[in-house]
Amino acid sequence: MIELINISKNFGNVWAVRDLNLKVENEIFGLLGPNGAGKSTTVMMLTTLLRPSGGSARVCGYDVVKDSRMVRERISYVPQDMALDRKLTGRENVLLYAKIYGVPNREKKTREVLELLDLGDRGDELVWTYSGGMRRRLELAQALVHEPEVLFLDEPTLGLDVAARKKIWGHLNSLRKKGMTIFMTTHYLEEAETYCDRVAIIDKGLIKAIGAPKDLKKQLGGDASLNDVFLNKVKSKEDETRFDGRAFRNILGRR
Amino acid sequence: MKAVLYYFQRDFRKWTRSRVNIFASLVRPAAWLIFVGLTFPAKFTDNYLAFITPSILVMTVLFSSLQGGTLMVFDKMLGFLNKFLALPARRESLLLGKILFISTRGLIQATVLLLVAGVLGVRIESLFHLVLVYLTLFLFAVFFSALSSMIGLALNDHDSYASVNSMVSMPLFFASSALMPYEVMPAWLRTLARFNPVSYAIDSIRLLFEVGTPTIPVQGILGLAVAAFIMLLIGTYQFRRATV
Repeated sequence: MIELINISKNFGNVWAVRDLNLKVENEIFGLLGPNGAGKSTTVMMLTTLLRPSGGSARVCGYDVVKDSRMVRERISYVPQDMALDRKLTGRENVLLYAKIYGVPNREKKTREVLELLDLGDRGDELVWTYSGGMRRRLELAQALVHEPEVLFLDEPTLGLDVAARKKIWGHLNSLRKKGMTIFMTTHYLEEAETYCDRVAIIDKGLIKAIGAPKDLKKQLGGDASLNDVFLNKVKSKEDETRFDGRAFRNILGRR
Repeated sequence: MKAVLYYFQRDFRKWTRSRVNIFASLVRPAAWLIFVGLTFPAKFTDNYLAFITPSILVMTVLFSSLQGGTLMVFDKMLGFLNKFLALPARRESLLLGKILFISTRGLIQATVLLLVAGVLGVRIESLFHLVLVYLTLFLFAVFFSALSSMIGLALNDHDSYASVNSMVSMPLFFASSALMPYEVMPAWLRTLARFNPVSYAIDSIRLLFEVGTPTIPVQGILGLAVAAFIMLLIGTYQFRRATV
């Protein structure tokens, strides 16, 4: 479904992504990594919003640069920051996407996705009155209205409470069962561990580990969690510079 | 290209849902007409209202077109642009939708102004001339809303947009034939004003408002049409290449 071949992106001297190779099949795939690791950059290249500096990528068999429109017709993208028109109703927000995607029977389809995401009874209220979890679900409704083959999600559960997160994951799981490929980034490793078929941990634009969460944990042995795998693979600045946290705290303590 | 219409509907609906917004954008031009048009002690004409009405029409459309760039800035800042650019519709349809909305809004404001001017006693020769006034204002609005949306797409925050806007709008207005005829201008200002697209629009509309047999400002309208078209081409190019 998704194939990245030696893909790179640099902003001046900084390499956000460097020679990334990755193959994603029909699955829920989680891209993990610290802030600034190149996760969003990768997603933006795959959704045709950023032009790769080198290498190439194919989504649903189409090149993201040469056939970008074919790619855009088959995917949906929900970025990190929630972008919804608060002065429009939930239904109007979804209908805009249905219209632009050229969905046939768009009124009916809009009603269906709103109901699918448990927003049916609030559809005619202004988004201004929605909670954070509802807004995220409304964004999913927008993304699902044209039945994409691949769904790209950038931090889909960021800033949501436990119940709202669980609800979002419930929806994603049922989409997966219906055969949708989901490519997502997240900081919540427990979620990735529970719901992703495979994950890749990237740092400074390079892949540090890739595989099913349980295999990655097995490699580390014992009762390791994905958090342990992550900390093991991703070296923080402090580790790299041999920053002595205890000594530093002692100094502060003395003052 | 239906997407142009859908993007237009989105902005239009958001605008009409904010009553404060509408009220403010309709009152300001009327205030200009009443407080400046009726009171300014001009020596170069005995009918200052007739002289200033075209200027205020153009000024209203100019400021509201330039203001329109903030729509683009906010779409970009709030993440809408990322979502829209990932849609299969042609990317320039987003720009064209913005231009259509900003121009329509400008023409609605102009209509209110024309009504107030009518009440105050300003007259136009025929319906045909009125249509040409609208055409001139529309072309003028397309030119400046395309420009402002392009600037909006290029910038990253609304503060810098606001400063660019204030830097551009005031000089454009004052260095034009808006407030005084060419004859009473100092020579250097006259040269500037002749090249200013704002003067183009004002002069054309002033001709259309003349009493008796007003001349059709073919040159002015054609000039604005060509300028608007060029702006659309540049904008389309910029939006097609848009990578966020």
